[in-house]
Amino acid sequence: MSADSPMIQVKNLWKVFGSNPDKVIGTELASLTRSELRAKTGNTVAVRDVSFDVAPGEVFVVMGLSGSGKSTLVRCMTRLIEPTAGELIFSGEDILKVDGNRLRELRRTKFSMVFQHFGLLPHRKVIDNIAYPLEINGVGKAERHKRAQEVIELVGLNGYSEAYPEQLSGGMQQRVGLARALAADPEIMFLDEPFSALDPLIRRDMQSEVIRLHHELGKTMVFITHDLQEAAKVGDRIAIMRDGALIQVGTPAELVANPKDEYVANFVRDIAKSHVLTLRYIARPLRSDESAATVELDADLIIREALPTVLEAHRPIHVVSGGSSIGVVSAEDVLALIASVN
Amino acid sequence: MYRKLLERKGYFFLGFIALWYALSKIFFDKATWELGIADNTSFTNVVGDAAGAISGNRTHSPFFVYFFNPIRLFINGFVDIIRNLIATPSNGHAAPTIGWLGVIAILAFITLATSRIRMAILVITFLLGCGALGMWADTMDTLAMTLAAVLLSLAIGIPCGIWAGLSDRVLKLFTPILDLAQILPTMVYLAPLALFFMIGEASATIATMIYSVPISIRITSHAIRSLNFSPVEASISMGATKKQTLSKVQLPMAKQMIVLGVNQTVMAALSFVVIAALIAAPGLGKPVISALTIQNTGRGFVAGLAVVLVAIMLDRATSAAAMKQKAFIPPTESEKRRKRLNVSIAGAVALGATIASHFVTALGNFPDNFDIATPISNATNSFVNFLVNDVSFLTVGFKDIISIRVLNPIEDMLARAPWFMTLTMFVIAALVLAGKRIAFLTFVLLSAIAATGLWFDAMITLTQTIVATLLTMIVGVALGIWVGRSKRADSLLRPFLDAGQTMPAFVYLVPILGLFGPTRFTAIATGIVYSIPVVVKIVGEGIRSVPESMIEAATAAGSNVRQIITKVQLPASKRALMLAANQGMIFVLAVIVIGGFVGSGGLGYIVIMGSSKPELQGKGLVAGFVILLLGVAIDRVAQAASRRA
Ligand SMILES: Nc1ncnc2c1ncn2[C@@H]1O[C@H](COP(=O)(O)OP(=O)(O)OP(=O)(O)O)[C@@H](O)[C@H]1O
Ligand SMILES: [Mg+2]
Repeated sequence: MSADSPMIQVKNLWKVFGSNPDKVIGTELASLTRSELRAKTGNTVAVRDVSFDVAPGEVFVVMGLSGSGKSTLVRCMTRLIEPTAGELIFSGEDILKVDGNRLRELRRTKFSMVFQHFGLLPHRKVIDNIAYPLEINGVGKAERHKRAQEVIELVGLNGYSEAYPEQLSGGMQQRVGLARALAADPEIMFLDEPFSALDPLIRRDMQSEVIRLHHELGKTMVFITHDLQEAAKVGDRIAIMRDGALIQVGTPAELVANPKDEYVANFVRDIAKSHVLTLRYIARPLRSDESAATVELDADLIIREALPTVLEAHRPIHVVSGGSSIGVVSAEDVLALIASVN
Repeated sequence: MYRKLLERKGYFFLGFIALWYALSKIFFDKATWELGIADNTSFTNVVGDAAGAISGNRTHSPFFVYFFNPIRLFINGFVDIIRNLIATPSNGHAAPTIGWLGVIAILAFITLATSRIRMAILVITFLLGCGALGMWADTMDTLAMTLAAVLLSLAIGIPCGIWAGLSDRVLKLFTPILDLAQILPTMVYLAPLALFFMIGEASATIATMIYSVPISIRITSHAIRSLNFSPVEASISMGATKKQTLSKVQLPMAKQMIVLGVNQTVMAALSFVVIAALIAAPGLGKPVISALTIQNTGRGFVAGLAVVLVAIMLDRATSAAAMKQKAFIPPTESEKRRKRLNVSIAGAVALGATIASHFVTALGNFPDNFDIATPISNATNSFVNFLVNDVSFLTVGFKDIISIRVLNPIEDMLARAPWFMTLTMFVIAALVLAGKRIAFLTFVLLSAIAATGLWFDAMITLTQTIVATLLTMIVGVALGIWVGRSKRADSLLRPFLDAGQTMPAFVYLVPILGLFGPTRFTAIATGIVYSIPVVVKIVGEGIRSVPESMIEAATAAGSNVRQIITKVQLPASKRALMLAANQGMIFVLAVIVIGGFVGSGGLGYIVIMGSSKPELQGKGLVAGFVILLLGVAIDRVAQAASRRA
């Protein structure tokens, strides 16, 4: 498998709750809206014809309002919920076709999950919680404790290995959840609103923690959240869901710059543009009455980070991409963007 | 058409009952199908013959040889192992293998190891108390029977409960059986079991299990089902097999509630083992029954006291063990070390005591040279005499008012009117209260009762059940409102309610018999006392669960306390009230039937006569069956009515 072929491919995935879900897909019923269908047949379309790819090492964020189908999507991807239709390919293997044994094997080695409500085992010490995935895979006690200890250090839980979950704060508990998901060294991690139950301050710490772990370990991550700041902070790309369907997928900058519709625009409204947009999005031609500064800036630089240079220059600066200039930015342009109230 | 009636249910019912009463006066004593106690009908004769044929086949029919008899022998053997160990002298020994000192030491040790030292002291004191009451051997028999039944019940109940906890299909399959077992009055299945397994330990144990296995299944499955799902889901997501998730996640997390189920199972088994004395189960039930039979309140009180001691002891010890499972966090190392030391010392002492009690006869058979039973018995008798003779307005007066003003008129309506009239009236009432389906069911069940020929006795029992339920509801709802509205009342009454629910029904009969003598009223009063706790609990719970905002709104609108109760809290807890009435009625029915012992007449008396007189065996079996029909009818109508409420 080449390095740039996708780690995860989701193709036309559907999940319909209720009786006779197969009667819905591929019929005219499928084109009804969610509430119409529920009124008519009692079925709920939780995931509607979703397709996307995730590259190796990417952090892919799924966002959407409550009830938009995020949890169902991620549970379909781990087959905690059986999808109604579609394909799901991890490194070339169709996950929906594998049998129970192979599925368990994949769950033990290939991917792992972090839950909103942690899902820790209250009757086990931290270390035995973290060692649990190794234990069910038949790893001996000494070895799994050694591995668990490594992960404990990795997530900053030193000194807590003998504690019980109830004795830890929420943030600490989710560190245990993270450590447990890392213990078997999976390639893919699914995180379903991992920090929604935490206080804002702790949440910010944990986001940084995930970013750090991602830098150190380079796992592929599918990260569910309904918090836009969080999505912009941790995500390489963001997918926005509504009523079970994917509305738009793109980098934070793409979403902010070109929201596909009102729903997406509303969603991204609260992002400070200067935090996600790069210079590329505000570069403009040099006017005849201006002369550019001698410094140049890369087109993929986040605007906020370019701010000091731009202000200092007192003149427009060339924005370069692939060696040639695509336009200029001036201090006024940047300040106007920062001051604009969407 | 009856939709209209429904809207004016209140007026309709007043008129309906007035009409019913009038009709019953007009047709008084006609077509009542009253049957003398010694009389059989052709149907009861047929059943009697069939029963005779069944027991005649005991030695050679393959059903017996390959099915019933092996089960009986296995259970008898199992019970005897335990009895020989602690209750009865065996192997040419003058005392049981483990004598009284050993038993006390072992039980105290187990309690110490599973809960706290205070519980161990309570166990020692209560056991000594039972011995001092002269009830040591019977107490041990009761413990042995209870232990045997509990072990067997758990061996079936916990696996089945886990199964039902994991699979919806299995739960669906079990639920109707569990429901039926819960409404079945205890007396109903004693006689049929005795028919197949003979009277004695095996029948008693199986009867007890029929009562306690469902409780164990219910609580275990509930324990599994009520678990927080996210650890379970996490376990599956990590690739655990079903077995791994069960053994490493679900069972450890459900442990506390499963142990709580053990507590409930023990209490259910105990109360049944006492009643099973009716089919010759050894234990404390025997002295209670013989005291009831000769109406010696004092003697009955002594035996009942021993039952109470055993009940409190088992309840406290097992629920303390359950509480200890509560925290998932085990004690620290130093706590553990201290505990280990304590336990090993206690263990050594217990072992020494056990060995000593095996070899020293004085430590084997409980000494009978200090007798507190006789003084207690005498004191009780003279106290009861004082109540009955000198303050008779409290006892006789109350009894007469209820009997003449309430019991007799209702009995006239139900039992002393033509059977078809009563039947029709009931079906109409069911139609209005509960709808066509239930009305039809009522018709079928009542017709079946009529067809057995025991209509009159069934109506006598029903009358007493209705009256006792009415009185229970009056007292129970009042107390329930109080408990539901006041935290203080709740904490004041709760210990009594809890204790009341764990006591075997039999125990209540004794003092009430002393007060009211062998009459219908004794059965009714016992039914009331027995069922009040459950009614109070359900009503209190219902009142408490009325949203605070509703009460605040009513208060803000200027309602006074009475208005809040009658206009807000009671209507809002209508469902709880109906449920309480339903449960109360089922509890009452169970006791009214036992009341056959103390002069309540009706079906219970026939059941009891049936078990002692061979020529009435068939009639007794039929009476048991009629009780079952009555119970199902009551339960179905009440449930349907509460769904409509
Ligand atoms: N087991 C189920 N049976 C029927 N409908 C379900 C089931 N689980 C989820 N749904 C429905 O599917 C839809 C999507 O639910 P889902 O939990 O995936 O949303 P979500 O985006 O994760 O929301 P939240 O942010 O609240 O977690 C909802 O309308 C929900 O009611
Ligand atoms: Mg969700």
